Amino acid sequence: MAEPTPVHLFHMSERQRQFKSVGFFLKMAVLLLFVLVPFLFPSFKTVDLTMQIVMFAALVASFDILLGYTGILSFGHGMFFGIGAYCVAFLIGKYGAPTYGNLILGFLLAGAVSAILALLISFLTLRVKAIFFAMITLAIAELAIVLATKLSTLTGGEDGISLFTPGIFSPAFNLGPFMGIDINGRVVTYYFILFSCLALFLLMLRFTKSPLGRVLQAIRDNVQRAEALGYNTFFYQSVSITFGCVVAGLVGALYAIWVRYVNPESSPSVMTIMLDVLLMVIIGGMGTLYGGIIGAAFLKVTQTYLPDLQHLAKDLFPQAEFLHNVMERWLLLFGVLFILVVIFFPKGVIGSVREYAARRKARGLNKMA
Amino acid sequence: MSDAILTVRGVHTFIGRHHILQGISFEARPDAVTVLLGRNGAGKSTTLKTTIGLLPSSKGSIVYQGEAIQDRKPYEIARRGIGFVPEHMGIFAGLTVEENMRVAMLAEDADTRRRLERTLDMFADLRKFWRARAGNLSGGQKQMLAIARAIVNRTSLLLIDEPSKGLAPIIVDALITAINQIKERSVVILVEQNFYMASSVGDYFFILDDGRVVHKGDMPTLIEDEALQSRYLGISKGA
Amino acid sequence: MAESVFRRFSQQLTLMGVVVLFVLPLIGIPPTTYLTLTIAGLAMGMLLFLVASGVSIIFGLMDVLNFAHGALFAWGAYVGFTVFNLLMPWVEADSLTLNLAVFLAAMAAAMIAVALLGILLERVIVRRVYGNHLFQILITFGATIVLVELIRVFWGPNDEVMRVPVTFRGNWDILDIIVYRYRVICIIIGLVVYGVLQLILKKTKLGTIVRAGVEDRDMVQAMGHNIYLLFTGVFAAGAALAAVGGLTMSLFSLQVYPDMGGTYLLFAFIVVIIGGLGSVTGSLVGALIVGLTYNYVAYLVPWAAAGVNILIMITILLIRPTGLFPAGE
Repeated sequence: MAEPTPVHLFHMSERQRQFKSVGFFLKMAVLLLFVLVPFLFPSFKTVDLTMQIVMFAALVASFDILLGYTGILSFGHGMFFGIGAYCVAFLIGKYGAPTYGNLILGFLLAGAVSAILALLISFLTLRVKAIFFAMITLAIAELAIVLATKLSTLTGGEDGISLFTPGIFSPAFNLGPFMGIDINGRVVTYYFILFSCLALFLLMLRFTKSPLGRVLQAIRDNVQRAEALGYNTFFYQSVSITFGCVVAGLVGALYAIWVRYVNPESSPSVMTIMLDVLLMVIIGGMGTLYGGIIGAAFLKVTQTYLPDLQHLAKDLFPQAEFLHNVMERWLLLFGVLFILVVIFFPKGVIGSVREYAARRKARGLNKMA
Repeated sequence: MSDAILTVRGVHTFIGRHHILQGISFEARPDAVTVLLGRNGAGKSTTLKTTIGLLPSSKGSIVYQGEAIQDRKPYEIARRGIGFVPEHMGIFAGLTVEENMRVAMLAEDADTRRRLERTLDMFADLRKFWRARAGNLSGGQKQMLAIARAIVNRTSLLLIDEPSKGLAPIIVDALITAINQIKERSVVILVEQNFYMASSVGDYFFILDDGRVVHKGDMPTLIEDEALQSRYLGISKGA
Repeated sequence: MAESVFRRFSQQLTLMGVVVLFVLPLIGIPPTTYLTLTIAGLAMGMLLFLVASGVSIIFGLMDVLNFAHGALFAWGAYVGFTVFNLLMPWVEADSLTLNLAVFLAAMAAAMIAVALLGILLERVIVRRVYGNHLFQILITFGATIVLVELIRVFWGPNDEVMRVPVTFRGNWDILDIIVYRYRVICIIIGLVVYGVLQLILKKTKLGTIVRAGVEDRDMVQAMGHNIYLLFTGVFAAGAALAAVGGLTMSLFSLQVYPDMGGTYLLFAFIVVIIGGLGSVTGSLVGALIVGLTYNYVAYLVPWAAAGVNILIMITILLIRPTGLFPAGE
């Protein structure tokens, strides 16, 4: 083996330093928190909130692959989420018995259908301007909702489908108490989903750091340049979109086994999911993947405790009826927040932090020079 | 020197991350044609675009008739009497020749009408194809239209970017005649790679390389100096 | 290759396509129904044209995709609704003069209010994201949410009934064909707007400058025109067009509801893709195609109506991505 080059040495030292950095500790702390929640805060509301944050973090990260890393805005992400959920719902709810086999099949189906649909959409519409791609995905998503509702014999229509989770995931399962809580189906499901999402997240990180991921960022920054360098941008974009959509489908499948009920129009519907994901990715930071965690946490916590905020507002300002009206329309507040973040903090929380850190580092280096 | 109509000092322009103009300085004297020469990518077009304000400069000053214009918007600069003929001619293909001229004419007064007539006298083809779609004109006619648009207002300074590109020699000769007529009324800054054209109309020259001026002087000197021509313009003897 | 063949014969092919579109349905639809559907299709097309033309010109000139157009559409309808409520006696009066008066008053109020809204939107929000398509979509999307929620705040979240002026109601019975009066009115409004737009664009200096700007924005600026003022003006005009569309639509569907802009915006974008960016004529042709197709298909195979239009859009994207009448050709 040849002597390690200076570049090699640099990478190796980077990797070692990485495990001692502040960022690493933060990430481990967050992970530890998620792992301990069922024990520390066993109330249903808190566990459900945490689960939602975890799943949406993964979903938003998958959306960020498209938006932040490939530079493509798609309004169809909610649809893939829904498709994944329905795939599992078909196999262990409507058309199949609740077995582990069917569960696995459900996940595989979710991934496969998402992949095929994503490839199809990419092939048909990547040749147009970004804005039309966005519109087309929106059109297709709306079409999907209509189909899901209209083809009710197939999909259960507006009544939706109930899922019956098998074996250790089912609500009936109970191992007995351990460290203060009952190890029941719900807890098992929680950890299954948590580690699945973690695995998906790590997969996405690996994807962005891979050579493929780097080509994508080059394409995102300057399409003509990438093409001039000989890269088939269409191919790379398709791969990236498909990857992101498959992950979205898988998260949808996970969501289905957590709530155990799917329905085209209920909350969260395909469209409100899309809205939430957009807000989360903008607040958390595009092109950062980790931004999804921050964005998901912020939005979900706010949504859960919003009724309390509204009551607080009413108590503090009992006369201001207009304020009450405005507070009722929390979507309005989020819309304004969204616009403000896009204008003033386009990089989101993580992005701004990273930029700040980079600038400090540069200043430090400058001082040394 | 102090009566230069346009003075550019130490101008830097970035396009994206590329540092195209790296401290460019030159001036345009009144009653003369100043030619900017140089290889491809030297920054000649970028210089004109920065002057007219279509590209922002990050450093340096551009002073026109005593006023600093480097931070002004393109339409403000144009209204001060600077005409611009871009590299791709910039004619509006879907509009007629008449409509192109109407967009160009900033006022509808007698002076402008007079100038229009004079311009159409100079470029007879435009009068002939007045109602034709501009996109259907020949290359040479499009170039004439582009120049006509830029001089129909009270233009004191005309910026022209490679007018002879892709045109037949006989058209180039017609352009030379036109520019020689125009220079009686306006100061002209011409960017050219065609040395024949540049030397036929130019009075002073500045050679650009890598976003800077590397040589300057008066045209007759350059015409004599073949070594200089081949070094900076890639022109070899007998070309 | 398909594209170059298409380009050379594009006019003839389009004509052929439109003729086929008109004639084909006769195979499956009885003639009287066919005429009713055709009129319905033309009326719907005109409504789409009103929204699409604004989007098309705004995009053509400013390179801005205005997602908030749907919300402006809804605002137009609601402002008109308020005017109708204030002047309800005129609406309910059986007098063409009074009906026309309240209708025109509502139209004027809607256009002015929404144009102002458009100016606000353009100067405060859109201006910051020129040149960045991604952020334009995001920010106008956010603006849509805010605008629609504001409708809910000011007018309440429920559907409201829109009362049609008395003389606009009902139908004529011509040769056994039922012709709804209001649909004909829609068609008239659409044609009038088209005519006015063409007049402004082709015969006035301002219109010529706008057309030039659609082709080459920078050049227009370098020729001395304040492009920013032009942008604001065009944006406001597009918004006013959306308002006209919204008000007209509300009388067509007899209701206003906060999300009414959403579906129509989608169709409007399909129209713009089919018709070509920056072209008013393109928007008209595209809109008529979409309107007619939707109605014919809705009669024959109800659930496929929206899907067929998406198919047309995708087809156009594959063989002629710039649309049927792109500006500058």
